[in-house]
Amino acid sequence: MSDHNSGPRALADPVVDITDVYVFPSPEQPDSLVLVLDVFPSAEPTALFSDAVDYRFRVRPVKISREATAAFAVSETEYAISCRFAVPVERQRGGPLVQEGTCTASTGQTVGFRVNDEQGGKARGLRVFAGRRMDPFFFDGVRAAKTVMTGQLAFVPVGDSRQFRQNVLSIVVEVDIATVFGADAGPLFAVVGETAIAGSITVRLERYGRPLIKSVVLGAKHLDTVNRDLDIRDLYNQEDAFKLGTTYLGAYRARMNANLPFWDSLDKKTDWPPDAHGNHPLTELLLADFMVVDASKPYAGDSYLEIERALLKGTKHETCGGRTPNDDIADTFLTMLVNAGNGPRISDGVDGQAVRASRAFPYLAPPELNPPAKIQLSLDKPA
Amino acid sequence: MTTCDGAMAATGEVIDADFRTTEGVLALVNLQAQIDGQERQAAAGELDVSGQAEFIELVALRGHVLGCIADYEWAERLAEQVVSDAPSDGVALLARARARATFHRFKDALTDLDKAKRLRTDPTAVDAERAAIFQAIGQYDQAYTIYCDAAERRADFGSFGALATLYAERGETAAAERCFDESRERYRGVSPFPLALLEFRRGVMWITQGELQRARSWLATAHRRLPGYAPAQGHLAEVEASLGDTDSAITRLRPLAVSSDDPDYAAQLARILVGEDEEAARAWRAKAAARYDDLIERHPEAFSDHAAAFLLDVGEDPHRALAFARANLEVRKTPRAYDLVRRAERAAK
Repeated sequence: MSDHNSGPRALADPVVDITDVYVFPSPEQPDSLVLVLDVFPSAEPTALFSDAVDYRFRVRPVKISREATAAFAVSETEYAISCRFAVPVERQRGGPLVQEGTCTASTGQTVGFRVNDEQGGKARGLRVFAGRRMDPFFFDGVRAAKTVMTGQLAFVPVGDSRQFRQNVLSIVVEVDIATVFGADAGPLFAVVGETAIAGSITVRLERYGRPLIKSVVLGAKHLDTVNRDLDIRDLYNQEDAFKLGTTYLGAYRARMNANLPFWDSLDKKTDWPPDAHGNHPLTELLLADFMVVDASKPYAGDSYLEIERALLKGTKHETCGGRTPNDDIADTFLTMLVNAGNGPRISDGVDGQAVRASRAFPYLAPPELNPPAKIQLSLDKPA
Repeated sequence: MTTCDGAMAATGEVIDADFRTTEGVLALVNLQAQIDGQERQAAAGELDVSGQAEFIELVALRGHVLGCIADYEWAERLAEQVVSDAPSDGVALLARARARATFHRFKDALTDLDKAKRLRTDPTAVDAERAAIFQAIGQYDQAYTIYCDAAERRADFGSFGALATLYAERGETAAAERCFDESRERYRGVSPFPLALLEFRRGVMWITQGELQRARSWLATAHRRLPGYAPAQGHLAEVEASLGDTDSAITRLRPLAVSSDDPDYAAQLARILVGEDEEAARAWRAKAAARYDDLIERHPEAFSDHAAAFLLDVGEDPHRALAFARANLEVRKTPRAYDLVRRAERAAK
């Protein structure tokens, strides 16, 4: 749930509030890619998907760029996987509401499914599950916020995650790459999750590329001398991840160039010296806000940002990259921001969810039937 | 006050979407799910202040949509509790100001907002709440200044919607219509609640203007978007009754009068049934009168207006109506409040 409360509208309507996106090669099916999109923070048993939303993944082939200004060369070819939901119905008088959904690939495959059916729906090249699962995300966000407020790394050896045993509404799509994308597609893909209005004119509501970008990198306003009063995350959400508009690009860049040096400064040394124009070396890489996965590599549980880190070092990546549900991406990302891997691993003190995701479809752990109250520590509480 | 030209000039991109929103029943199920979740957190005493403020807003929203005064009262209790627990937290004070304003405790609400401002709470949120109170008490010019400033800084659904309701209340329908359109076109979301509320306010404006067909159209739109939306259904019934379609009005009102703890629906039903079914009319009138008495005792500022209107009409007690109308005028000097006093004075003679 790394992106909870990413903007004023998302706060108001949990059905469009993307909490996380995951992408990884299937541990079960060779040559298949698993795409996961989570919405509805702390979803109660009656929570349902909206019938007015297009929940979709946008997938584009990508190559390591040879240009100095961009990390990745993104293809114009795009594969979209779109999930839509019907208005729920009562099958039996007084019984629970039953919601059906349809997943459609831009290449023509379609599969129907019923929400909360563990087996999901299966058709040629596509397998889909949608329903309530335990939120796989874990992160001590309260102490991350304290770090921003105090200017000191505030994490403790045993941290607290607000998502502990909380549930979300998940969509899990397993895609046979050759069948759905084509035999020649890949193996490197850029992936974005989106919620959009499913109307005659599609309006993007939220997008999600890499975790923690909107909260950790773009969230704090006080260091940004250009747009100190502007919560740019709502604008950022509406952008096309593969083609940022020019109107607010300067604002996003300024925010990143203001906030990234803050994280770099926390160990009292500079691992990411800015260029002559004050640009942080990670700004352009992170502005290309999508996850990159290598479908030719086997499933790996801890491969988040490995492709990007190899790229920065000028070496070949060795893993699938992407993001798996059990991966401690917060530690990986914080370490990258704070010391660029030149120092000890930075830990937020939370190493996993209460129940780990499995290696079998639909991968995410079943919902917690009796979730505890959210753990929300007061910032005044001694660490 | 004619139009808010500055805000109009600040107009940015306009999306010609088809205003599709989540089906109303589904949205209500999800609202309930959100409230259940927040209640669980609150019961464990582990919601932080912003979480509690969000919880209070959700409860108040359900209160408005379902016409449930008990929800408003619950929201008020929660707001008092959050301020008691965090007296120097501006977000808590803002939440309590909203709850107090709901029950027309405007002076108390403004005091909370002053404190919130001193605590450097989000000035946009504080100003928006202050403007809403100014509007409610008839200080339209002050509200207008704040709304225009907000619309010029950020021309969005909320800022234009606020302007629209102010114009509507002033009877400036042309400007209101423009702002309603501007607001609607800027809506980016699928939650039906904000749009249904906007459409409802637009319908109420046309009732006030006596343009009942236009009123019916907007109220029906709001009701289609959100079938459980009690105030839209209640006003739709009012319009239908005025247009002579009493059967439809009675069909709409009867379930509301039975289920809602807001006496307005029973009062309306009694009004329509007079001359048609005197015995039923008397029963609904008695139910409404008892409930108004109860509410007046607990929330005198909030219900003196509606109680006065009821007593002037089917309640048949113009002297008490005049007392309530004058009490209402004490807290809100709006054209409607003045009109209510004039009507009560005439009736009491």
